[in-house]
Amino acid sequence: MDVKEQEFSRMVREHKSTIYTVCYMFSNDADEVSDLFQETLINLWKGFESFRNESKLSTWIYRVAMNTCISADRKKRRQGSKVPLSMNINLYDDEDHETRQVRQLHERIQRLDLIDRALVMMWLEGMSYEEIADVVGISVKNVGVKLIRIKEKLKQK
Amino acid sequence: MEEMNFDEMREQFTLLRHKLDQQDIINDSLLRETMRGRVGAINRTKYKSYICAAFSLALYPLLLYWGVFSNAFVIATCIMMLFCAYGTYYVHKPVDRMNLMTEDLATVAKVMAKFRKQYNQWLYYVTHALLIPWLSWAVYEYAWKNAPEGMNHWLMALPLLIGAAIGGLIGYIWHCKAVNAADNIIRQIEENN
Repeated sequence: MDVKEQEFSRMVREHKSTIYTVCYMFSNDADEVSDLFQETLINLWKGFESFRNESKLSTWIYRVAMNTCISADRKKRRQGSKVPLSMNINLYDDEDHETRQVRQLHERIQRLDLIDRALVMMWLEGMSYEEIADVVGISVKNVGVKLIRIKEKLKQK
Repeated sequence: MEEMNFDEMREQFTLLRHKLDQQDIINDSLLRETMRGRVGAINRTKYKSYICAAFSLALYPLLLYWGVFSNAFVIATCIMMLFCAYGTYYVHKPVDRMNLMTEDLATVAKVMAKFRKQYNQWLYYVTHALLIPWLSWAVYEYAWKNAPEGMNHWLMALPLLIGAAIGGLIGYIWHCKAVNAADNIIRQIEENN
């Protein structure tokens, strides 16, 4: 394994929960989460060399994961042979208390449309409005407005 | 009461992150292999395009050697192909540089809209200013100027015109595919915003 690959593997290990969280919130099926997770890793690898620390690593990872999930949402089909690269966790079927809590969050977020899901996830993550604006490519003011609307939507449902 | 709801969501989110942090990635060792395969497939498509361009540039001097076309026509054709290759590279450059998955959506939409516009303009001007005059010149050289005596000119020109029509159709299909891909990306971003 060369230096670049070692760095990449370390980055994936450190941020695997961020990547998996985004994939989980954009899907309703464990196999699909696994596919999205793998697709995100491929896209991270493709962009890894050109990442120049202009933004925070976590912000960049969020952006790649969200773009991958939003793109995949319309396609909803499997492409070519895939190797399982996911994690040995089942957040859809397990019935322990913690998993039920996580599923409740999943259900709430799933009611929102794609961009709103992305915004609320970053807000829950505790990211600043500047960072959220950087990931999505909209103004900081627009982030604030959208988040207020999302909170209203969540209250209504 | 509703703020409680959001606090609860934050707690659930933290719980999810904690559960995932405790997990290991399955088949980590296969990661590199899969990624190399996918990136390799994209690169192979690029190399195929370069081979096609190189083959076309080698073919026309060969036709000169066989005496099918005049020196002026062969030189003009080679210059035109180089110009077209550069034009295609120039139009594609911003898209090639951009990684669709790592840029923000607003930038992707902007670059794609510019690409679509330039790509359509490129086809329009190349067809009218280069391809139509070039094909007329090729037909004249092949079926009239260098045709053996007594041959029916239009009959000689027919294979050339059929070839041009097939080539043009394939080129147009490639063009439409590229424009449709750009359209799909723009539409997807607009729908999601």
